[in-house]
Amino acid sequence: MDLDLRPGVLAGIVGENGAGKSTLLRILSGELRPLGGEVRHGGRFGYCPQNVVVNDALTVRQHLEFFRVARGLPDLRHAGEVMEVLRLSEYADERAGLLSGGTRQKLNLTLALMHDPQVLLLDEPYQGFDWDTYQRFWDLAARLRDAGRSVLVVSHLAYDAERLDELWRLQGGVLHPAMAVPA
Amino acid sequence: MRRHLHLFVTAARFDLLEHARNRFAMVLVALFIPSWISLAYAVIPSRPVAFRLRATGQLLAPAGNQITQITGAINAVTLITGFMMFAVTFNGGRFDRRLAMAGYPRIHLVMAKTTSLALASGTIAAYATAVTCTAWSPREPVQLAAALFWGAMTYGALGVVFGSLLRREVEGMFALVMTSLVDVGLQSPLASGGTGSAAVQFLPTYGTMQAATAAGFTHAPLSGDLAVQIGWFTGAALLGLLVFHRRTKDALATRSPFRPPWRSRRRQPARPARSASTPR
Repeated sequence: MDLDLRPGVLAGIVGENGAGKSTLLRILSGELRPLGGEVRHGGRFGYCPQNVVVNDALTVRQHLEFFRVARGLPDLRHAGEVMEVLRLSEYADERAGLLSGGTRQKLNLTLALMHDPQVLLLDEPYQGFDWDTYQRFWDLAARLRDAGRSVLVVSHLAYDAERLDELWRLQGGVLHPAMAVPA
Repeated sequence: MRRHLHLFVTAARFDLLEHARNRFAMVLVALFIPSWISLAYAVIPSRPVAFRLRATGQLLAPAGNQITQITGAINAVTLITGFMMFAVTFNGGRFDRRLAMAGYPRIHLVMAKTTSLALASGTIAAYATAVTCTAWSPREPVQLAAALFWGAMTYGALGVVFGSLLRREVEGMFALVMTSLVDVGLQSPLASGGTGSAAVQFLPTYGTMQAATAAGFTHAPLSGDLAVQIGWFTGAALLGLLVFHRRTKDALATRSPFRPPWRSRRRQPARPARSASTPR
């Protein structure tokens, strides 16, 4: 398969359960090594894994500090903006292990976006979100696309297709161009 | 240099915080160590138990309850640090990888984990020694604490290995408990009378057992046996390091420069379909 993700594009990948969508994103993010082929990134990227990857013993604020140091960021300005959009700021001093599933997912997503990446790889990033947060997530994704970021979302076709610029279907290990279908 | 220090201190701080929030481990430290060591002293008869200390060849005959306290202390400190490190490794494996892939240098993460293990082992070893000293007076309490410390470090490293390789928590718990059962059980002077079998020299806490027993009942410095235990820790830590390295590897950064030609052939990307109703 070939996938060229250009700047300023909000793209989606759909496919049946077990089609390999998450595996593809794990390869694109560097978590897995492909059996063949290569992955090239044009800039810094952020990856939001399908399963929430946080440390239950640390608070939201401690997560941000840990990843701020990891990424060498001077401040948490961008993280703060993402948290405001997702309504996560009020949980800053809560431990991740005590958060609800949706709020943990907000933290999972914030960690992927906090350094303002140029390429975003998001694997069903809205799992557990309530409707308002779900809408705000797509507004945020559109804003990032408009700011020239490349956004790739593994998504459910029925609900999200109309929000995407490009749509791909993963089937039988092959990535096919697919028409976006309004929900 | 300041950045390296900042990376190390940040990781160490959060590692220690994670250990401190492992409430079950904290309860084990606070209650299990004194209860087990005190019960061993109170319940086991004090009649002398004769055995030959392999490290020095000396024939010793300490009180049964005193030697049981020492083997009990080894049992307790090793299982607790093994459990602590297993828990953080098992639960935090994917988080560590996320941190590493976000740019956190793995060497700083490893140094921080080793530091927090050392602090935990030091505290637990000193605590177990202090509890022992309330019942009787070991000849060399510092050597006893040092022996317990390196035993705890070894099992901490084994906890990292088990936490990385095993898929279920219960498997890790069993692996630790069974390792300790065979390890301490075969060496216990109470059970084996200081067995003459050379096989015990290859057990994970052989150095700790020899040095701790000597510290309890002789004035013989057993730095050689402590060195054996440090060797066990180093081996287990290197194994843990290898597994950690594999688990946190970034496939994009470590791609092999040697690729067969049929894999490097590039095709023209297909054009994606554009949505007709893109909300801009």
